[in-house]
Amino acid sequence: LPICPSGSVNCQVSLGELFDRAVKLSHYIHFLSSEMFNEFDERYAQGRGFITKAVNGCHTASLTTPEDKEQAQQIHHEDLLNLVLGVLRSWNDPLLHLVTEVQRIKEAPNTILWKAAEIEEQNKRLLEGMEKIVGRVQPGDTGNEVYSRWSGLPSLQLADEDSRLFAFYNLLHCLRRDSHKIDNYLKLLKCRLIHDSNC
Amino acid sequence: SEWSLESYIRIPNGQSAPGKPEIMRCRSPEKETFTCWWKPGSDGGLPTNYTLNYYKEGEELINECPDYKTAGPNSCYFNKKHTSLWTIYNITVKATNRMGSSISDPHYVDVTYIVQPDPPMNVIPAVGIQDGKPYLLVKWSPPPLADVRSGWLTLIYELRLKTEGEEWETFLVGQQTQYKIFSLNPGNKYIVQIHCKPDHHGAWSEWSQEKYIQLPSDF
Ligand code: NA
Ligand code: NA
Ligand code: NA
Repeated sequence: LPICPSGSVNCQVSLGELFDRAVKLSHYIHFLSSEMFNEFDERYAQGRGFITKAVNGCHTASLTTPEDKEQAQQIHHEDLLNLVLGVLRSWNDPLLHLVTEVQRIKEAPNTILWKAAEIEEQNKRLLEGMEKIVGRVQPGDTGNEVYSRWSGLPSLQLADEDSRLFAFYNLLHCLRRDSHKIDNYLKLLKCRLIHDSNC
Repeated sequence: SEWSLESYIRIPNGQSAPGKPEIMRCRSPEKETFTCWWKPGSDGGLPTNYTLNYYKEGEELINECPDYKTAGPNSCYFNKKHTSLWTIYNITVKATNRMGSSISDPHYVDVTYIVQPDPPMNVIPAVGIQDGKPYLLVKWSPPPLADVRSGWLTLIYELRLKTEGEEWETFLVGQQTQYKIFSLNPGNKYIVQIHCKPDHHGAWSEWSQEKYIQLPSDF
C-alpha cells in the first residue's frame, strides 16, 4: 500500500511498487504469449515446417533492441525505458486485430481466444503502468512516440490456409519473443533503478 | 580352352563417405554463451573432419563455429560475442573425408529456450526455533555463472528433502534463496538438495550436492 502521511498532498505509489507491478504484468503477459504460441504450434503448425520460414522478421525489427547482456547494460536506462514503451505501443494495433482474427481460425480452441483477449487487455494495462514509470523517472519528458507500424492484417486474412496459418504462427512467434524482451528489460531496469544492480 | 584375358576388380576395403552427423543438444548455462554437441556418424574408415556452420535469422552470411576447443570433442562453443538472444540460429554439422561429405539435419536454436543453469551452491541446512516451534532452515547461493544480481537471469528454486530410505518430498520455493520447513521428525537425519531453473523457459539444473542434517531428538 502507498504510504500517505496525514496532510500529504503528494500521495503516490512508490517507483519500486510500480516496477513490481510492471514486472508481474510483463511476466504474466509473456507466460500467456508462450502458452498461446505453444498451443497454436501443436494444433496448426505440425509438419508445415513453419520454423524454417519464421526468419522473415517481426514488425518491431525496426526498433533496435539490445541482443545480449552487454548491449542491455550499455544502454542508458531512459533509452531502455523508451524502447520498452516503443515495443509495447507497437503491439497495440496487432493485438487488437489478433483478438478478432483468431476467432476465424477453424475450430480455434477457447483457450487461444481467451489468451488473445487477455494479452490485449494486459498489454494496455502494462503500457499505462510504463507511461507512469517513465513520467516518474524522466519528469517533463513525454517520451518519444517511436513505435513500429504493423501492416500484417491482410496476411491474417489470406484465402490460402497454409499462408494464413503461417502469418498467425509468425505473429505469435514475434509476440512471444517481444514479450520476453520486455520482461527481460523490465527485470534489468528494476534491479538497476530500484535495487542498485544488486537483486 | 585358353584362359580369358585377365580382368581386375577392386575389393572394397571398407572406406566410404562419412555417415550423417546428428546435433544432439545445445545448452546455455547463463543466457550469455552456449555450446552445441553433435554425434558423428560412421567415419567411413577414414580420417574425417567436422565443421559446424550456422547462420542467424535475417542474415545471409554463413559462419563457421568460432571455437571447437573450449567445450571438448564434437562440440562448438559460442562465447558472449557470438551469442545473441531473440534470434534463431540455424546450425548444421558437416562431416568430410576423402570419399565425400555428409551434412546433418539443421538444428534451430533460440538461446532463451536452451538455458539450463548449473546447480545452486553453498547449500546450508540449519535448525532454528520460531514461536517455540522448531524448523529446518535451508540457505543457498545461485550458481556462480548466473547473473541474477543485474536481473539478466531470474531463477526459481525447488528443494527436496528425505530421510534415509524414504521418498523425496519436494517444495517449490520461488525466487528466494532460503526456505523454512516445519513439521519434521525429531531425531532423524535428513538429506537436502536444491535445483534451479530460469523463471520462464529452459530446464531445471542438476540437483546440488547432497547435504545432511541431523535433527535433535527433542526437535
Ligand atoms: Na569441439
Ligand atoms: Na553476446
Ligand atoms: Na529468465
